[in-house]
Amino acid sequence: MAIDKITEALTRRVAKTTSRRSMLTLIGGAITGAAAFPVLPVSRAYAAANPAHGGGGVAPQPTGNPQDPGDQASCDYWRYCAIDGYLCSCCGGTASTCPPGTEMSPITWIGTCLNPADNRSYIISYNDCCGKSSCGRCLCNRNEGDRPVVRPQENNDINWCLGTSSAIYNCSTAVILGVALEK
Amino acid sequence: MSRRAGLLAATLLFAASDAQAQQAFPQPLAEEPIPVVETLPERYPDSFVFVHDLHFKSIPDGRAALVDVSSPVSSVKGQIPVAQFGTLLPSTTGSEIYAGETFLSRLTRGERTDVVSIWDKATLAHKGEIVLPGGKRGMFVTLKNAMQFTNGEKWMLVFNFTPGSSVTVIDLEARTILGDIDLPGCMLTYPTGARGFTSLCADGTMMTVLLDEVGKAKSTTATRAVNDIDNDPWFMMPAMAGRTAWFVSFKGRLHGFDLSGDKPRDLGGFAMVPGDAAKGWRPGGWQVTSADAAGHVYVLMDPNGAAGSHKNGGTEVWVADTAKKAVARKITMQNHTLSIEVTAGAKPYLVASRPDGNLDVYDANSGTFLHTVAQAVNDPMTMTAAGK
Repeated sequence: MAIDKITEALTRRVAKTTSRRSMLTLIGGAITGAAAFPVLPVSRAYAAANPAHGGGGVAPQPTGNPQDPGDQASCDYWRYCAIDGYLCSCCGGTASTCPPGTEMSPITWIGTCLNPADNRSYIISYNDCCGKSSCGRCLCNRNEGDRPVVRPQENNDINWCLGTSSAIYNCSTAVILGVALEK
Repeated sequence: MSRRAGLLAATLLFAASDAQAQQAFPQPLAEEPIPVVETLPERYPDSFVFVHDLHFKSIPDGRAALVDVSSPVSSVKGQIPVAQFGTLLPSTTGSEIYAGETFLSRLTRGERTDVVSIWDKATLAHKGEIVLPGGKRGMFVTLKNAMQFTNGEKWMLVFNFTPGSSVTVIDLEARTILGDIDLPGCMLTYPTGARGFTSLCADGTMMTVLLDEVGKAKSTTATRAVNDIDNDPWFMMPAMAGRTAWFVSFKGRLHGFDLSGDKPRDLGGFAMVPGDAAKGWRPGGWQVTSADAAGHVYVLMDPNGAAGSHKNGGTEVWVADTAKKAVARKITMQNHTLSIEVTAGAKPYLVASRPDGNLDVYDANSGTFLHTVAQAVNDPMTMTAAGK
């Protein structure tokens, strides 16, 4: 939708030029009716009781890029610091793309994650992929910077599959929007 | 012995044992009628608890189990569907259960229809529905305050999120929609006064909307900023002690508001955890707090609390005496716990849901562990005790 494209472009431009907090405020004001993104404390609580969680037997998917280190099929991957849902990397997509036949939510909530390789903080957009039911692989919930739903733009408990043609949630991506600049 | 002789001997042996068994039970089992479907009491005992299953592996197929937590035997009494990030709201004294749901005409695609589905408590049969216009019902990992009663449970408030915020007011007796009220910058509903609700706002204030006799907003008031969302925000679901809402913050501060009047009356609060440590005991989980009939507030606590730990679950339940503004006692959980609910009545149960879908049941007054209800649901995010 055109308005979503405009907002997405705005989001991307703003992300490159503002701090995290001012950007969140801006997105909060600019949100028009998009995106969906569930969150599940079950997964984190389960992880605390079950050390095998994180990979869950899914074969590792290393990025192969030393500046983008880690396993994109693991909840511990640096970009997933505020994700909530099934990792699209395990579902036919990647950390930044949706599985075939799904629709990417145009706007969602964002987090700021530290890349351990270059020691930069990046603004990560957790766009959901919508239109097929729950992927079911690699459930992951991390809540660095998550606020309660009273502040929706900083919350991952909302089904953000809102601006999409289907409200059904499939999986979550973690797209790099840009470097988070210090104030 | 030849092979044939061996088979003959075995056959005779079985015939002898058949005869012996039939002598022990001369009459066969009675024939059983078909079909028979169970029913439930019209008024549930206090030990019945609705356990809402988000069903994360198939969210369009969410549901709730009705569980009698008084015994581990035959404890699951039935289920009702709560589809697609739905919200469950059983009436406390009436005969109906309500579920806010969303359906697409082809399950994962097609036309969207939002409804309030109505179920009968005694039969768990579908009684009817109220269609919600506009495709705007808010969808969240189960939050009870996305749907609440007002006006003595004759009306319902459905919270919408598009991501613009609004509340739809429904007349349940007439099965009609009375109207929508916009709530810019505010989230969820907390019934307030005889006819109205409070909402939590992004600037830390609480906004209260009072409704007239036809469900329109007749007045709106706001508090000062009381919720420190940046540094120590409240979990969204408070413990309800009668009409008093006790909100608990990420760092373990309780703050009470009497919602029985026309605007929230601030009862003040206290810190369950002194100081402002970066790590240590903090509330953790999903439904982290609940109150008993005596007004004690129970909070699920995590010893490994830190920034970002607020959904990790907990291992102790701290029981706060809100009159004395102190933690009165602590209950050690048998297992890592996701959510807690305290049942109604003078001898309440403390129900602790686990991430694996099992429920641990404790005597809430003594803290004694009683039993586990195994495999209650898939993802037991919220619980609602009968009569609460």
